[in-house]
Amino acid sequence: MPQVTYITPDGEQVTVEARRGDLMTLAVKHGVAGIEGNCGGVCACGTCHVQVDESWFEKAGPASDDELGVLEFEDSAGPTSRLSCQIKLTAELDGIVVRVVG
Amino acid sequence: MADQRDPFSDDREQSGVKTVAAEGTEVPLLLRLRDVKKTCKDTKNFSNDNPLMIVLHSEANSRSVRQLPIETDPPDHTEYRALVEPIFRKPKDAAYQAGIRDLVRRLVDDSIDLKEVEVVRGFALPLQSRALARLLGVADAEAEEWISWGIHVFRDQQLGPKGSELDQYILAKLEATAGSDADDFFSVLNRLEFRGRELTLEEKHGFANMAFAGGRDTVIHTVSSIVVHLAEQQDALSFLRDDEGRINTAAEEYVRFVSPLTVISRTCPHQTDIHGVTVEAGERVGLCWPSANRDATVFKSPDSVVLNRSPNPHVGYGFGVHNCLGQHQARAIIRSLLSELCDRLERVELLEAIPELEHESSYTRQVGYKLARVRFHARQP
Repeated sequence: MPQVTYITPDGEQVTVEARRGDLMTLAVKHGVAGIEGNCGGVCACGTCHVQVDESWFEKAGPASDDELGVLEFEDSAGPTSRLSCQIKLTAELDGIVVRVVG
Repeated sequence: MADQRDPFSDDREQSGVKTVAAEGTEVPLLLRLRDVKKTCKDTKNFSNDNPLMIVLHSEANSRSVRQLPIETDPPDHTEYRALVEPIFRKPKDAAYQAGIRDLVRRLVDDSIDLKEVEVVRGFALPLQSRALARLLGVADAEAEEWISWGIHVFRDQQLGPKGSELDQYILAKLEATAGSDADDFFSVLNRLEFRGRELTLEEKHGFANMAFAGGRDTVIHTVSSIVVHLAEQQDALSFLRDDEGRINTAAEEYVRFVSPLTVISRTCPHQTDIHGVTVEAGERVGLCWPSANRDATVFKSPDSVVLNRSPNPHVGYGFGVHNCLGQHQARAIIRSLLSELCDRLERVELLEAIPELEHESSYTRQVGYKLARVRFHARQP
């Protein structure tokens, strides 16, 4: 099963695995600090902001226009920022590391 | 004649701004999604520090206290909001959500197969009030008094001005819970401290006023609009049943589509230009949520209810630091409502629906329903 490692705002590393789903839902299910997912994954609330580890960014892909419409107003957005609700877990992303902005 | 569900479309496309008369001035409303979001983020140049003026028209005739935390700017706002955030986050808890679902279930039980249900006052109002009792941690019986206050705690069109009754209620509750170590909202307010001192009575009153006013007509209009839409789109319930993920997408889509709050204002400390409209220092601009939520440059088919719309970057719960404090409660109510109606109803039959209309100098907008008579038809096991 693909694994995801979240690095929380406090520096804690949380590694979880799942067959499918998106990185926000997975984080909420496992209580990863700093990811709220208030809107349930429709790209409205911005409470699942992560920065994808640079080595994984190409595989995860860039933010969509809808994500950018939220991220452009996030103070701590950077070049690898994504809304984790929009990153679907695939076998190709097995081992991905993301930093939770919180 | 402009569509009363979206009277802003022409101006949104052409200039991005529409002015409306309020308190002796022409207030420019921002109509495009990006403009609204940008303004929400700029709390220095678009301030909330203007008590009683947070909505389009002054509320000086219906309340005297500054609503907290909304009518403040950071950094005060940040600290005020943090004080009550734990209360308003309770609906994120699964056990709390189960309680709201149970509340909806009992309301549906009482309504199902009746000859008719008047959704606004006979369903949405008790649902909002009883859910608020859960949120505030007070006895269910309190909600029955709140139901008697009507749709809007300040200006119910049938019951007349009610603001003073709300004020009296809040002050009596704060007095009755003084020194209490209980977990209800009023007892908690009495114990809260701001920067090392107790909250003043006015601050506690301001928090409580916001809690009662903020999510009342908005939730009621959203619930009534959902029920009427389910009656008008007979395949909607089965569409939602086909994929459990659609309960969430539908809950967000209904908030986008209904956008039950038309305008929240910001006050400009300095002279500002809004798409060619000059706003003098001390005057206001309006954030027009329903218009932003129909911005065709962002939303495909913005005038349609697309129950599986995703992404859906709407601003139905606001945006930025002042985003809706009651959003978790609203989502718990709407998701529970949709889940329960899917489980229990074969269909909703519409008998009569009278739109609630807001009349302003430059537009008339439908926001929910004044009355909606329906019949709930039970789903056969």
